[in-house]
Amino acid sequence: VPRALWNGSLSFGLVNVPVALYSAVRDLDVHFHELHAKDGARIETRRFCSEEDREVPYEEIGRGYDLDGKQVVFTDEELEALAPARTRTIEIQAFVDLAEIDPILFDHPYWLVPTGESQGPLRAYRLLVEVMGSTDRVALGRFVMRTKEYLVAVRIRDGLLALTTMRFADEIRDTKEIDSGARKPAKGQLDQAVALIDALTTGWDPSRYEDRYRERLKAIVRKKEKGQTIKAPAQEKEPGATPDLMAALRKTLDEIGGRGRGGNGGSPEDLEQLSRDELYRRAQDADVPGRSSMSKEELVGALSRTR
Amino acid sequence: MAARSLWNGTIVFGAVTVPIKLHAAVESRTVHFHEVHLADGARIEHRRFCSKEEREVPKDEVVRGYEIREGEYVVVDKEEIDAAAGTRSRIIEVEHFVDVEQIDPALYDHPYFLGAGTGGADAYRLLHDAMERTSRAAIGRFTFHNREYLAAIRPYEDVLVLHTLRFADELVAADELELPDAGRQPDEREVKMAAQLVQTLHEDFDPRRYRDEYRELVLKAIEAKAEGKEPPRDTPPARDGSDDLLAALQASLKGT
Repeated sequence: VPRALWNGSLSFGLVNVPVALYSAVRDLDVHFHELHAKDGARIETRRFCSEEDREVPYEEIGRGYDLDGKQVVFTDEELEALAPARTRTIEIQAFVDLAEIDPILFDHPYWLVPTGESQGPLRAYRLLVEVMGSTDRVALGRFVMRTKEYLVAVRIRDGLLALTTMRFADEIRDTKEIDSGARKPAKGQLDQAVALIDALTTGWDPSRYEDRYRERLKAIVRKKEKGQTIKAPAQEKEPGATPDLMAALRKTLDEIGGRGRGGNGGSPEDLEQLSRDELYRRAQDADVPGRSSMSKEELVGALSRTR
Repeated sequence: MAARSLWNGTIVFGAVTVPIKLHAAVESRTVHFHEVHLADGARIEHRRFCSKEEREVPKDEVVRGYEIREGEYVVVDKEEIDAAAGTRSRIIEVEHFVDVEQIDPALYDHPYFLGAGTGGADAYRLLHDAMERTSRAAIGRFTFHNREYLAAIRPYEDVLVLHTLRFADELVAADELELPDAGRQPDEREVKMAAQLVQTLHEDFDPRRYRDEYRELVLKAIEAKAEGKEPPRDTPPARDGSDDLLAALQASLKGT
């Protein structure tokens, strides 16, 4: 069962709902621990006072800030006391349309779950779910968690309140210094590019993508356990800039139109039916770089990308 | 002056290549503190200790291990971990395009700006404008610091933004959470009043209207404390903790 990261209340006008905050993301990363090479024992990190050269328990640690060379120190309690209301309450300030929020602001997703026994607040939670669920509106609010304030968007997902922390507008850099390329594409080129994008558009299905990095890392650990050596795969060469954009657009459109998607190797689903030896033979034919050190799934991936 | 780039590479879709430069899009403005020893104000240092020998261990005696069974580790060095990056450290191949609005907000992780790379000014503009016209995002894999990410690339203002995306299996589903018993459904009057309240508080979204007020509060408190004054406090508003939902809704509507 996931652990609540924060407990407080969601306030909406004069309505208060006690809620607990849970992360909506689970950590599936492959984690490594620090070990002492000599004896394989786990490394522990201990906090030391740099002046006294002795270990310091956590209760004796404060938060320091350098203000023009002068150090100002706070205890955790002092920092928490700065804004007690903001620390305990997610205050809904407005409702906006979800489509108006640029995704660049979205940071971390959480779930808000009602807590407490009392029936009134529980009904208020369900009221919000019902009222907001019938629109594309999201509630905007703010609260402080672990000494940082967050602007949050609360919306309905699967019958629950889903909260996403957002970045503040002044934390997004200006795009002025980013090279935005040429002025304007020629109309013919733009039409071709739009046609190409249309041809390559599918419905969004996130479950279709697996974390190949995670799988490769697990495979490396398994190999290592068996005492095998790990070789870095050869890097594919970065292609140069397209000399003739129009010709490249036409060529790609023709290929998609002529063969459907996939090309050389067929769809990943078809390829997965084949043995690694057969995949490797095809990879030789297609001259896939780094093929000798690829796993079966990597070969499937590489072949399905060859055209 | 062009901004410094973090990574250079090429977006590939079909026979079209778009050389790009990656830039930071986010600049955190959180007030950062460092750990100090309250007794003497000295800095806290984190030191590595061997749990078996009870002694400090220099960095070069530390290796990384994966716990394969409880208490049993497979040691893997940095080069071996880096080998998991795959073969495309400089290529983002577009697997397909999707409607931006279909991507659930929970999936967006970290954003970066993409600038046009050498020789790619026309192709960059073309990709930007064509995605803008179609409201689409390009989906592909992006390798950064020896780690592969799923990424969505879409137009943002006059440039392209690349978002690393979370994988679907990383998201916690609603049915994995424990909920209190449902109790009585809200009645019609309550629903009507709540809908009215949502309507009254509806506005156009303008992100610049929201400043990090807590950050300002913290900075003021630091200044006050540096001068030996009591830091300012934020007083909590009085809350009606009553169980009467209807009365609270009525009072809220009156207040707007």
